[in-house]
Amino acid sequence: MSTAALHTDHHHDHDHHEHKESFISKYVFSMDHKMISKQFLITGIVMGIVGLVMSLLFRMQLAWPDEKFGIMEMLLGKWAQDGKLDPNFYMGLVTIHGTIMVFYVLTAGLSGTFSNLLIPLQVGARDMASPFLNMLSYWFFFMSSVVLLISVGVETGPASAGWTVYPPLSALEKAMPGSGLGMTLWLVAIILFIVSALLGGINYISTVLNMRTKGMSMNRMPLTIWAFFFTAVLGLLSFPVLLGAGLFLVFDRSFGTSFYLSDIYLEGVGAMENIGGSPVLYQHLFWFLGHPEVYIILMPALGITSEVISTNARKPIFGYTAMVISLMGISFLSFIVWGHHMFITGMNPFLGSVFMILTLIIAVPSAVKVFNYLTTLWKGNLRFTPAMLFSIGLVSFFISGGLTGIYLGNAALDIQLHDSYFVVAHFHLVMGSSAIFGMFAGIYHWFPRMYGRMLNNTLGQFHFWITFITAYLVFFPMHFMGLAGVPRRYYMFTLVKEFDVWMDVNKMMTIAAIVGGAAQLLFLWNFFYSIFRGKKAEQNPWQSNTLEWSAPVKHVHGNWPGAIPEVYRGPYEYSRPDREDDYFPQYVPDESDSVGTGGDGHGSAPKRKSTKKEEVAENVMFAAIKRVFGWS
Amino acid sequence: MKNNHLSGIAALASKKMFSAMLLLALPFFAIAQTATDVVQPPKEFSLANWDWEFISYCTLAVLLILIVARAFDIGSLTEKITGKKVVNWNSTNRWVAIIFLVASVAGIWYEMIYHGKYVMIGDSYSEHGETIDSMFNWTFGFTFVVFAITEALLFYFMFKYRYRDGQKAHYYFHNNKLELIWTVVPAIVLTFLVLRGFNTWSKITAEKPKDAQEIEVFAYQFGWKARYAGADNKFGQSHFTFISGKNPLGLAVQDHVDSLLVDLKKDTALLNLQIASADDSAKAWKAAFVKFNTGSNATAYPAVFKELKTKMEDAESGAYVRQLKKDLRRKNTTITRISTYRKDDKVFNNAGNDDKITTEIVLVKGKSYTFNFRARDVIHSAWFPDFRGQMNVVPGMATWFSFVPNKTTEEARVEKNNKDFEFYLYCNKICGGAHYNMKIKITVVGSEAEYNTWMASQVPFVAPPAAPAPAEGDSGAKDSSAVVKPNAVTIR
Repeated sequence: MSTAALHTDHHHDHDHHEHKESFISKYVFSMDHKMISKQFLITGIVMGIVGLVMSLLFRMQLAWPDEKFGIMEMLLGKWAQDGKLDPNFYMGLVTIHGTIMVFYVLTAGLSGTFSNLLIPLQVGARDMASPFLNMLSYWFFFMSSVVLLISVGVETGPASAGWTVYPPLSALEKAMPGSGLGMTLWLVAIILFIVSALLGGINYISTVLNMRTKGMSMNRMPLTIWAFFFTAVLGLLSFPVLLGAGLFLVFDRSFGTSFYLSDIYLEGVGAMENIGGSPVLYQHLFWFLGHPEVYIILMPALGITSEVISTNARKPIFGYTAMVISLMGISFLSFIVWGHHMFITGMNPFLGSVFMILTLIIAVPSAVKVFNYLTTLWKGNLRFTPAMLFSIGLVSFFISGGLTGIYLGNAALDIQLHDSYFVVAHFHLVMGSSAIFGMFAGIYHWFPRMYGRMLNNTLGQFHFWITFITAYLVFFPMHFMGLAGVPRRYYMFTLVKEFDVWMDVNKMMTIAAIVGGAAQLLFLWNFFYSIFRGKKAEQNPWQSNTLEWSAPVKHVHGNWPGAIPEVYRGPYEYSRPDREDDYFPQYVPDESDSVGTGGDGHGSAPKRKSTKKEEVAENVMFAAIKRVFGWS
Repeated sequence: MKNNHLSGIAALASKKMFSAMLLLALPFFAIAQTATDVVQPPKEFSLANWDWEFISYCTLAVLLILIVARAFDIGSLTEKITGKKVVNWNSTNRWVAIIFLVASVAGIWYEMIYHGKYVMIGDSYSEHGETIDSMFNWTFGFTFVVFAITEALLFYFMFKYRYRDGQKAHYYFHNNKLELIWTVVPAIVLTFLVLRGFNTWSKITAEKPKDAQEIEVFAYQFGWKARYAGADNKFGQSHFTFISGKNPLGLAVQDHVDSLLVDLKKDTALLNLQIASADDSAKAWKAAFVKFNTGSNATAYPAVFKELKTKMEDAESGAYVRQLKKDLRRKNTTITRISTYRKDDKVFNNAGNDDKITTEIVLVKGKSYTFNFRARDVIHSAWFPDFRGQMNVVPGMATWFSFVPNKTTEEARVEKNNKDFEFYLYCNKICGGAHYNMKIKITVVGSEAEYNTWMASQVPFVAPPAAPAPAEGDSGAKDSSAVVKPNAVTIR
């Protein structure tokens, strides 16, 4: 399967193949990127439901610590005897909620779904560079999900050391119940997950670099593809470090090594043998992934937002080049700021200053992105489709949550704010809500492309507004709690008098969370109903410019029945003054557009041919990237 | 040529599919191996235990949602039939956006009035805390302006530029000058914040103040203990292997460490015996299990059944002996380590005998303190929210934090108009089930005299042999004049 083979014309026999495909090879072990993206999406949604229900359970505990809930006992059995949640299991719920949301929903569910769906369709490829690895990537993810869900049911409880699983708490079986078998299964799940992420990542990168169709130069790629590309690079470079960290932890847990352990006396066990390790080493290794992970989550959402906002504002995205450069800047910087999670771990204070400076630099490219989104909306012709609403919601969350990053990135302020509810507010807004809104935007926008049917618009509108308002109601008051000195990961607040004033806020947040959670039923109904009974989709329902809307509504193996369409211009040519339509797809040739084959991602009319110098520069960049990744 | 890459994929699939499936199934086999023992056994099934009220509410809610969904479906059908739009979402949303904007401003306003007084802006109780608060205010100033402007613009644009048929968007995709402005301006503002933050951070953390009194703060699952140097102003040495029931902080005190050694040696002797008789105990467990496992005992007493079964299986599989050997090795290592230190006179120098271990921290207003942190088991984090201080407490690593309290507890009570107010040191790093209840009270007193009274009421770790305690006034005067410069040393 060379790249050349993928470009051959083969529409004569794809019917023949569809007949031959069995149920298993079509729906289960499928190697078609469109089917794999659906698999990722649905697994992600299922995991998302689990994560959401867990969050509702512990929010109920926080709001009504003295009440008894029969539902808890029904769901959790011995962990909620008489309907009161066990403190150890509370920690387990917090941990598994975090793990599921960060890795399973927002990494695999978001990036896995849309990278798989859009990379081949938007760059004009028949499939991924390696469909087989792609299939493995999904199935490793699936196994990992299963192992994680099994770990919730083990007798000693799931991993409960927080989603960061800092040793020694996670390394010593006797330190807490969840550090037994639950923790082992957590590590197995994460290691399987890393394998999945790596298999996916190399595939995305090689597809973007090698398999673009004729005319699709790098600077004509939609911003989604740029975002997926940088995300894959981040994942590829940082996940192996977590793999290392996890393996060391396995060694410490099972084989008696002392990478992370030193000078420990454990109640009920006595003095341990381990000497010379450092728990802070684990934190360095973990956050070397952990921080890029934040951008692995966020950048696909930003890419989707760029695409959706431009399409529905009927306006070219403002500052295409600046958007790409800021993505690049964020990607690069995200590797050298991990220490801002560790200001107060006893790390050398001078190192803290360095990380503070680097961290605050990240605010600059982020600000550029926000201002560019705003300018894209300015004087647009905004169609409020659900996808557009969710994208605007993302920008709103990104502003609210991003700005509090300036507080937390400041080492001096972090002394006070570290591990308080302020942090919870910050990352749930900037990373959790933003990214999940990006995911919803993507689902609403590309649902017709995935299933050939439309989602119900009205339900989508309701879904957006309820989710948007309740998300703010849940997470915004947490800023105030954090500033008043309320620590996170507390099982209940009634033991400290000073926290009493927050009880009614806690109740309000929990009610908002339950309403917001119930609103997701609207979405679930809409999603699964529309798969089978939704309105049939048109070829290009959003009048979009990008290549994926040129493919037939009914999926064919190989994406386009005939030749792959050629690309003539950048992806964001909306409302060009010289055109009657307010869109001008990338794949439509136009004789009057005399310089159609050259030009920038955001051509002006008349367009400028890319100069020799630019071409050389681009080729040099490619050669360098290919050299770095070892492709010839 | 019919043979293209797709049939290539198919061929590859048929060859690799089998091996892939095998590979994928492997972990499931592994889990299945342990699953029987592992997965929580289902509780006895009884519908009466279920929360039927809640379930019926949930069912009702779901039904309601389905009905609403169905209604909208019909709505869209009528739209299709009549060809008229029932709702124009583009104009509805512009108004919802504006309402949301106004409502959220009102919400934040309400929250500030309602809870603003608890939010820590400008009520720090330490000297450096004021610099942190001023840093906070600067950051708040900048970010609030940006927040207000950008969010307002976002929703205003939603209002202003909604879709109208026949309207065309402004074709505007690039402006170098504009982009330069919003790259450079944030950069300048951030440079200011970084420099200020750098300054504040370095002053607080760079080095220990030289004239500070040192207090050791010891964290364990789940509580805190404080150690004051005692009359000699010198901390005794400590080590994690010295920790025992009577010696919770592991101080190098001869009597305690010697009795710990004796206990450990007894333990190892017992372990040796158990290992030697492992075969017999395996038989015994098996006999007990067989005897128990008759009739309906297994179902009548599931807990006993399970325990016996586990014991028997552990004994038969050798897990029991392995665990014993592990314990033995661990205890022997501890004995060797303790014996080595025990010979060292520099370690056992009696400095720790008069150390005072307290369950409360008492500080004097206006005096500089350095807290040296030590963890017994896992990572904890010492958070003094009122004093704007926080530092992780890491096993095997020495950390510290210094501050000068500048108001007393009494003053704070007056300020907060709350006569029960207390300062606390909280644990702020997840450390286990009772993490939420791990705190220690901090009292700031106004004068040395009050401090000395309290200190005199605390007992030294090793009671002095029958010597009468010095009069309170005397020792107090001495303590306050002396510059306290102890060295808390933990053996590495």
